[in-house]
Amino acid sequence: MSFTEGVFYAFSAIMIMAALGVITARNPVHSALSLVLTFFATSAIWMLLEAEFLAITLVLVYVGAVMVLFLFVVMMLDINITRMREGFMRYVPFGIVIALILVVQMVMIVGPENFGLEQFAEPARHVADHSNTKELGRVLYTDYVYPFEIAAVILLVAIVAAISLTMRRRPETKYQTPGKQVMVKKEDRLRVVSMKAEEKEK
Amino acid sequence: MLENYLPVLIFMCMGLIVGLVMIVLGGFILAPRKPDAEKNSPYECGFEAFEDARLKFDIRYYLVAILFIIFDLEIAFLFPWAIVLDDIGLFGIVAMGIFLGILVIGFIYEWKKGALEWE
Amino acid sequence: MIDLAISFWEWLPQWIQILAENILYIVIIMVPLMLSVAYVTYAERKIIGYMQVRIGPNRVGPRGWLQPIADAVKLMFKEIIIPTSSNRYLFLLAPMLTMAPALAAWAVIPFADGVQLADVNAGLLYIIAMTSMGVYGVIIAGWASNSKYAMMGALRSAAQVVAYEIAMGFALVGVLMAGGSLNLGDIIDKQAGGFFNWFWLPLLPLVAVYFISGVAETNRAPFDVAEGESEIVAGFHVDYSGMAFAVFFLAEYANIIMIAALTSLLFFGGWMSPFASWADVPLLGDGFHWFLLKTMFFIYMFLWIRATYPRYRYDQIMRLGWKVFIPVTIVWIFVEAVMAVMQIGPWAV
Repeated sequence: MSFTEGVFYAFSAIMIMAALGVITARNPVHSALSLVLTFFATSAIWMLLEAEFLAITLVLVYVGAVMVLFLFVVMMLDINITRMREGFMRYVPFGIVIALILVVQMVMIVGPENFGLEQFAEPARHVADHSNTKELGRVLYTDYVYPFEIAAVILLVAIVAAISLTMRRRPETKYQTPGKQVMVKKEDRLRVVSMKAEEKEK
Repeated sequence: MLENYLPVLIFMCMGLIVGLVMIVLGGFILAPRKPDAEKNSPYECGFEAFEDARLKFDIRYYLVAILFIIFDLEIAFLFPWAIVLDDIGLFGIVAMGIFLGILVIGFIYEWKKGALEWE
Repeated sequence: MIDLAISFWEWLPQWIQILAENILYIVIIMVPLMLSVAYVTYAERKIIGYMQVRIGPNRVGPRGWLQPIADAVKLMFKEIIIPTSSNRYLFLLAPMLTMAPALAAWAVIPFADGVQLADVNAGLLYIIAMTSMGVYGVIIAGWASNSKYAMMGALRSAAQVVAYEIAMGFALVGVLMAGGSLNLGDIIDKQAGGFFNWFWLPLLPLVAVYFISGVAETNRAPFDVAEGESEIVAGFHVDYSGMAFAVFFLAEYANIIMIAALTSLLFFGGWMSPFASWADVPLLGDGFHWFLLKTMFFIYMFLWIRATYPRYRYDQIMRLGWKVFIPVTIVWIFVEAVMAVMQIGPWAV
């Protein structure tokens, strides 16, 4: 077993343990953190495939951004854990059936007869200064420009959806517009009134 | 390529180990441990804590987190583009122009809707 | 004796040799880093002291030079108080999770020409990924200590860090366009040729955005609402004491040094000397001392800013991040892209 293989098995083990932790942890925060660890181990495995850009982007986007949102949601919603567990036994049969179907599907598709070394030649190892990111950039913005623009539209939909779902404008809140504050002139605030001097009381 | 990342992996492990060693050394070996009920209560200006601290909070924080994910993805798309700009030239600029243009529409929308306002 | 040591070394299996070698290099990076963190805290108190016409620490050792050591020893012998209502494992995990990425990011920093632990292609991306993980320590600390102040501090800090990370990312896209690579060594090589060839000139707005975002990202004054001593007492680490607090503190200062080092690498030529034509004169040529000098200057800027500006209000911070920095960077990316392709001015590549 080479060193790389050892690293692969170590990270695979971490990944599977963490993934099990996601679904078995009682505390939702613990399971969110296990998911973080799962992503991290996955990223290490992608790195072993020499997909450095994707591996680091996985950490950047999923660990650095998506999981932050998950944690926000999970930490602040007061989830009643005992009530959530009530229905557990009732749904177990469904859960097992669906899990089995998924496993069978995965075995059918991701088996060695479809993705084995007979189907694909082993990819060559790249030299040390090979830039995976450059390769990716060269095709992403030329050959795959159409899916790339569709990604933009999907992100736009996400922005609009997020805002329309969560925006609540409260009428009583007060805002400041620093632009207006800076633009204020003396004339807007100050009025010089000429008054007759009062006569001194006699 | 992988040989370049080996030191990085070792460095991460070392970082965790250093943190662990410092806390174990400082917290459990060198330092005294004399817990008592008053000392171990959460800080609330000397009062008894009123209620659980894990309160619900403004939905705005979720909105910020969602917008952050979207913009982070945008950055992830910009990175490979920026380094191959010399190769793909004008076509690349137009492609990214459309991409960013669409997202700037979203940005203007959130600005006008007031999603970026804090009071 | 030396022969014996060499033969023992050769007798060891290869993977232990590699591991030992790497750990040695890591220690060579980490120990000076920890020492600099200690002395940045001293410098901070001293410099801000002088700026406010005070003397600063001057009791421990000559001119107070041993002050940071005394602080470290004191923190080491203090009890770590774990609040009863807290989640104790996460409570202790949080400082470690802040520390590990703050240190690990240093793996790819080039200190001088070719002096670098890991010369990875996606160096800059790796650093951003590591910085983005720093927010976990804060959120977990705030939640695990189960105190209202900690929770509020964590929330504020997370929302703020997240907003400025975007501005920072956009600013770095500009650097990537100019440098044409994610590899930090290549980015510096592109800046060869003296003071006016460094990237600060063509990327002037981005330098400002990057550095200010860096100040906000590390939760430093004037963006320190996450700690806000006068309102939420210390934010997310209000319940931390002893070494657990010290680890947070170390990570914060390691991040400050990181931002200063990155500013000097990405925009100010790293180890390059500003006098390209005097390369033969000793000390004026390229070298590690220039990198050190530039980094020190930017750390000084951090302290200077802290001593100068009052704290921003939270809505002002969010406004600056979202409504000023992001539009500025998007516009500048476009200007730069068009200029680079049209071969105009200093942007021609």
